[in-house]
Amino acid sequence: MAVTDTGISQRLMNWARLKSPWITVYNSGACNACDIEIIACLMPRFDVERFGILVTGSPRHADILIVTGHVSLKQASRLRRVWEQIPGPKYVIAVGACGASGGVFHGLYHMMESVDSVIPIDVYVAGCPPRPDEIINAVVTCLKLLGEDAAHGGKEWRQKKPVSGGVPEEKTPMGVS
Amino acid sequence: MTGLVTLDLIKERMKEFGTVEQVQKNRIRITTVPGRLHDAVTTSQAVLLFDRLVTISTLDNGETFELLYHLIGPHRIIISLSINLPRDQPVTPTVSDLLPSAGIYERQIHDLFGIFFEGHPDLKKLMLNEDWPENEHPLRKDWKPDPGVFYGGIKVERT
Repeated sequence: MAVTDTGISQRLMNWARLKSPWITVYNSGACNACDIEIIACLMPRFDVERFGILVTGSPRHADILIVTGHVSLKQASRLRRVWEQIPGPKYVIAVGACGASGGVFHGLYHMMESVDSVIPIDVYVAGCPPRPDEIINAVVTCLKLLGEDAAHGGKEWRQKKPVSGGVPEEKTPMGVS
Repeated sequence: MTGLVTLDLIKERMKEFGTVEQVQKNRIRITTVPGRLHDAVTTSQAVLLFDRLVTISTLDNGETFELLYHLIGPHRIIISLSINLPRDQPVTPTVSDLLPSAGIYERQIHDLFGIFFEGHPDLKKLMLNEDWPENEHPLRKDWKPDPGVFYGGIKVERT
């Protein structure tokens, strides 16, 4: 994780990251509609390469992971392994209704509850499937986050702090004193 | 060659394996017993040119499991060989030695219904995850997910 470093090399690295994010797409059991929309992003009509966004096959070369689809039990450990292979600072975008909550598959016997029970998600994209411009918008939002995180020195500043010093309060049930 | 196999010939030859009924214009259903299934598949393959397995479908009737082996040939007639298995001991001989493509269907049925196919070369999990618990078969009608059982995947810590 990037430390708040004002050295020339760190600033150069942050600048370079914002100029050319490399993404990798992982389908954790989607119906391929989201994948088709992501492919449409890469095609000449939307053409994300003009923003410097490049799709890589290997997660080891990527900065941003795009997860499409719900996570089935079989995919959960694979998705975790792919996420662990991405070098930090890493960002995850969950595409589609399935990525946010499980979609129509929510509550089935072979599903994880949501993607963020497996890996932490930074940006959610709604839609079934979302339009390509919304996916590009998500990547650009992710880049804004990346810039802010570099200025704050990590992702911790975004996390909500617990109210009472880290230890959750014991709630007494209603009617019991 | 294909003109020689007619509906009447199929009905005549398959009569020995159980009750034969014509359910549609080109579909014949034969209700047989698990012990005769292997012979029925051999006969329909060697004599009646049923060389291709369409699918194996499984029904949970509540009392028994009904397995339907749908076979088709170049004459475009489909036969469905039906067997019923008791719920407490769902065991049947495999047909993957006669029809190699049946092997993968049998693995799937073993996963989801818990039906054991005797003589199958490699009856390992196909659809469910590797850490799925034993003796849990999600497509049985009386199956309900048990909240106390860990069904694999990644454990979620709740606070």
